[in-house]
Amino acid sequence: MAGNERPGDHANAGRLTASLGNRAARGAAFAFVGACLAGVGLIAGWPLIGPQALRLRRSWDARVDVAGRSMEPALEPGDWLLVDPDAYAGGPPRVGQLVLCPDPRTPERLLIKRVGSVAPDGAVELLGDAPAESTDSRVFGTVPASDVRGRPWFRYWPLRRVGRLS
Amino acid sequence: MNRLLRALAPRRTAHAHCDIPCGVYDPAQARIEAESCYKIIQKYHDSSDELFRARCIHVKEERAELTKHHIDVMWHDYFKPEHVEKFPDLHDVCWKASKQASQVKRTVDLAEAQKLLDLIDKIDEMWRATNGPATTRMQAA
Repeated sequence: MAGNERPGDHANAGRLTASLGNRAARGAAFAFVGACLAGVGLIAGWPLIGPQALRLRRSWDARVDVAGRSMEPALEPGDWLLVDPDAYAGGPPRVGQLVLCPDPRTPERLLIKRVGSVAPDGAVELLGDAPAESTDSRVFGTVPASDVRGRPWFRYWPLRRVGRLS
Repeated sequence: MNRLLRALAPRRTAHAHCDIPCGVYDPAQARIEAESCYKIIQKYHDSSDELFRARCIHVKEERAELTKHHIDVMWHDYFKPEHVEKFPDLHDVCWKASKQASQVKRTVDLAEAQKLLDLIDKIDEMWRATNGPATTRMQAA
């Protein structure tokens, strides 16, 4: 028994324990450094990803579905869109951009149209992409830029048409 | 899957519609009244009963007025600027049709009533070419 033990066995066992301990310590160190780097990265990167993440969140909350054919072929009835509600907070929309806007005649009804022109006084002309199927500024006139609600910028459904909107 | 889709579905609808009235204009209304004028003029000539003939004239004038109203509604409310681009004679046809309705109101000449029907058919052609039937007439379910 004890007599069968060779002197080196203890040393080997000790080395094994030491190396196991080392490995665990090294793992913990790696994890710590990793976490630190991730933390630093998140803090450093926040100015870049943060606003995008918040914008995505707000866009999700403001998502809409499309009814009607006046925006064909760009948008089809049943499309589900993300809408950046603050896209036009800094200034009026530009010509060609998609906008949401309450119908001036029945404000509880939300319209989706494209900007045809913007006058210097901020009067925005809303037009449908398919004029024959659209009721727009040709009927109800221009709307003030302050009435424009948000910018649809991404279609997330149906899957075969997912993508950024222009 | 359905539950997931419901969760992803938007809560609000953005309307890309035409107005509801966009889908209610139909030149058939004008055509029906103009056909009445035509038939009444025929009946007028077929009768020798003065009272009946007087009634014919009265009813024909009423129907001609309605024809003019329906033509005007097509002209003012249904047709849009891009339709005029597509049919440069659109205003001319509608104008002539309105005037022809006045003409039919005035006479008992069957040929004038026929002219009115022909002009309404031209309006009908433009209505069909601008997707009128699909947006206006109820489709079979």
